[in-house]
Amino acid sequence: MAIRGIDFTTLSLKDALDLAILVEEEAQERYEEFAAQMDQHRTPDAAKFFRYMVENEAKHGRELSSRRVQLFGDAPRSVSRTMIYDIEAPDYDAARAFMSPRRAMEAALASEVKAHGFFEAALPAIKDAEVHALFAELRDEEVLHQNLVKGELAKLPPDSAVSDEDFVDEPAPQ
Amino acid sequence: MSTTGTLEYTPKDYKSDLKPIWCPGCGDFSVVQGIYRALAAIGRPPHEIAFVSGIGCSSRIPGYTTAYGFNSVHGRALPIAQGIKLANPDLLVLAAGGDGDGFSIGGGHIAHLIRRNMDITYIVMDNQIYGLTKGQLSPTSQKGRVTCTSRFGSLENPVNPLLYVLAYGAGFVAQASPTDLAGMAAVIEEAIRYPGFAFVNIQSPCVTYGEEGQQIKGLKAISESLAGLGHNPADRLAAMDLAQHYGEKMHLGVFYRNPEPPPTYGDLVKERQALLSKDALPKERILDLFIKK
Repeated sequence: MAIRGIDFTTLSLKDALDLAILVEEEAQERYEEFAAQMDQHRTPDAAKFFRYMVENEAKHGRELSSRRVQLFGDAPRSVSRTMIYDIEAPDYDAARAFMSPRRAMEAALASEVKAHGFFEAALPAIKDAEVHALFAELRDEEVLHQNLVKGELAKLPPDSAVSDEDFVDEPAPQ
Repeated sequence: MSTTGTLEYTPKDYKSDLKPIWCPGCGDFSVVQGIYRALAAIGRPPHEIAFVSGIGCSSRIPGYTTAYGFNSVHGRALPIAQGIKLANPDLLVLAAGGDGDGFSIGGGHIAHLIRRNMDITYIVMDNQIYGLTKGQLSPTSQKGRVTCTSRFGSLENPVNPLLYVLAYGAGFVAQASPTDLAGMAAVIEEAIRYPGFAFVNIQSPCVTYGEEGQQIKGLKAISESLAGLGHNPADRLAAMDLAQHYGEKMHLGVFYRNPEPPPTYGDLVKERQALLSKDALPKERILDLFIKK
């Protein structure tokens, strides 16, 4: 998780909304990538879950975009993707060959926890009341997202005793 | 692609339909994203870009872009890229590969592109292992590293890619990592914009054969921004000093950017051609050269 060039003390509501949209876009794209990776490695269950996350992030992004349009129309963005990295998107190395649905869900859960941490950490620096309210709302939504993933995890049967790591080659004499 | 008077490109315009087959979790996934972003920022259409690679996991990368690509021969990305640049100087030429490709079998080529100052950006995805062939010792593997070809630990010191290119006089030397995608894209963009040979070392972890300390978490723990250290990228000796920490610290950003870039080889060739053109035979008389009088 990294940010650059963002001053939370002077962040406007428009910029805050745009940042939140970018965070969702980044997460959506990462889950799309992960789903494609799982397809490539014939891991359809994990791919299916990552596509479910794509839908969730896209839905949240659409809601935020519609609020942004209502409040600020098509006023140009002054924040960009270069300012954020891995806020709600799972880390690239969270994906693994042949990962089980449980492991995929755990990766998503860790990302929701990470996003919660981002909004929580930003809150004390925010001066604008509307921006503060928005970030507090986004932070609380991350808890809802965590519960959503936890709910999916609870539906899973126990994992096989064989770990997905067992399918990956270890260095061996040639 | 959006058209608003002039053509503007988005990262997606550089993404091909081919799906990467790297191991999930591989650092190269973020490298290709960084390249898409850098190319979009540069804004050259894909058909004006040639992307050449050697052999290895990372050398699959040209296929994942919409640029003209050549997944060539092991260690030979640079000579091929050089040929392309000389034949068509208007192309933006990128070369890429792994540390084995660049610093073992292809190690001899780097010096010559640097001394000629070929206007090529060379991106090395340094994972400190031969991953595609299942985990053998590579030129940047740490001393003591246990692999299938060094069962009792490597006895060799690793090549330091940063010092290597700085010592040969490269005009642009930078390092990036998947721990900071935006920073990586910015560094690649700057490398492409540099008029001459530009080298970007990307510490891209191998999730299958890499050691724990070389994974994202381990890299984060040893990463330090050069800008944050107050490093002046015009100071070559300071760059060499910092580059010595390769393997212990991961300094991110631009180590060295020659503030007065010398002419590129392409510029010199053009100059020479102009100079000789007045004495050149017209095309229709070219066979005269071979006819005995």
